[in-house]
Amino acid sequence: MARAKDAYVPELIHPASVDEAAAELARLGDEGEPIAGATWVMLGPLHKRPTKMHYVAVAGLAELRALELNGATATIGAAVTHSQLADGIDGEGPLAALAHAAVGTPRAIANVATVAGNICARPYPAADIVAALLALDAQVDARIGDDASSVDLGEFMRGAPTPGSLVTRVRATAIGQAARSCYERLTIRASGEEAVASVALAVDVDGQTVREARVVFGAVEAQARRCREAEDALIGDALSADSAAAAGRVAAEELDVAEGPDAPVDYKRRVLPGLMKRAVARLAAGGEDA
Amino acid sequence: MPDTKPATLTINGRELELDVPPFYPLAVVLREELGLTGTKTGCFEGRCGACTVIVDGETVVACIYPVGLAYGKSVLTVESLAEPTGPLSSLQQNFLEKGAVQCGVCTPGMLMTLTNLLERTPQPSEDEVRDALSGNLCRCTGYRKIIEATLATAEAAR
Ligand code: FES
Ligand code: FES
Repeated sequence: MARAKDAYVPELIHPASVDEAAAELARLGDEGEPIAGATWVMLGPLHKRPTKMHYVAVAGLAELRALELNGATATIGAAVTHSQLADGIDGEGPLAALAHAAVGTPRAIANVATVAGNICARPYPAADIVAALLALDAQVDARIGDDASSVDLGEFMRGAPTPGSLVTRVRATAIGQAARSCYERLTIRASGEEAVASVALAVDVDGQTVREARVVFGAVEAQARRCREAEDALIGDALSADSAAAAGRVAAEELDVAEGPDAPVDYKRRVLPGLMKRAVARLAAGGEDA
Repeated sequence: MPDTKPATLTINGRELELDVPPFYPLAVVLREELGLTGTKTGCFEGRCGACTVIVDGETVVACIYPVGLAYGKSVLTVESLAEPTGPLSSLQQNFLEKGAVQCGVCTPGMLMTLTNLLERTPQPSEDEVRDALSGNLCRCTGYRKIIEATLATAEAAR
């Protein structure tokens, strides 16, 4: 299929360092944006999303590609890819939700799709990494020029990224002393597609009893979000298929379910209890796909 | 001042200088600027995998990969797997022998995905082959013979 060359006019700037990237973006303000794997930008015209005239390429900056793991904490460079997460994070450890969220993407996309791309894309209800990061109490570090700031991911997701800013890294921490997490996605085919609904689950257990929980649903509302009512339904009980289904039913009532391209509202509501059961079964299986 | 146009890249071992806009899709550059028509395009939106090539050792879908991101990098297309008159690669030969090719539109993308898999994981399980293929669609073969050809290639390399 022939493509007119003049449809691809934006400038692509290759900074040599993070400092240079931050300075360029601050100078460009609303006229520019960082770009890493470019999947979102390249599909922008097809989905009638506004595009910029200037993009600052950040995927090659080593500092932004660093993934540091320390027990229940991950410090994730903005340009860390889904493949890096899938290969680097233990699928049975406290941060397993991130590894599970990263493997649903076909490898050729996962090799270029980045963490910052996932959290900066709007609107993107099915952003797998966002849901997993929300369950892991993530903080987002960003810069405008030389000014650095840090914000809770939930807060970051409430608006569009600030013009002129560069996300530099995301820090995720599993809750509690005996933390476990997982991510489950429902797709129409077995894999390789956006989720129709997903859930990221992180719990801290005391013996058999859930002491603390994070339950985040993706692809259900317009954006991934924590459902505190579902969390309350899990806390104080043992993790079981029954408690999971009950939490899923609470979520189906509480969430403002939005129609997706592959599933109507009623379908999404109905699958939430089953999805929660799968997530809890996966936790019980130590991260294996149950 | 950041560099805006370092427009050289290496394609199948040959260093090239290009004069195309940086957001021109790599697949279009390969096919229309360089005549490397082995890389196919199907959906043009990153869903079918027909356009899969390898950039610096990792697969990418070339239909939504801007050529400007490949500057300074090494790109391998299906043309890199065998010389025009030379023997096919072991994977290509197994595709042929096992009947893993019908219309052939998906084949170059399949070959690049699976060549990359066998480099990363020389002895993959059937599940690993299936997982690797999650981004490559085939409307003809039903995948079975593609998986068999891949496992036979791994077996022969043991
Ligand atoms: S043409 Fe590139 S993924 Fe379909
Ligand atoms: S052989 Fe025809 S699409 Fe695969």
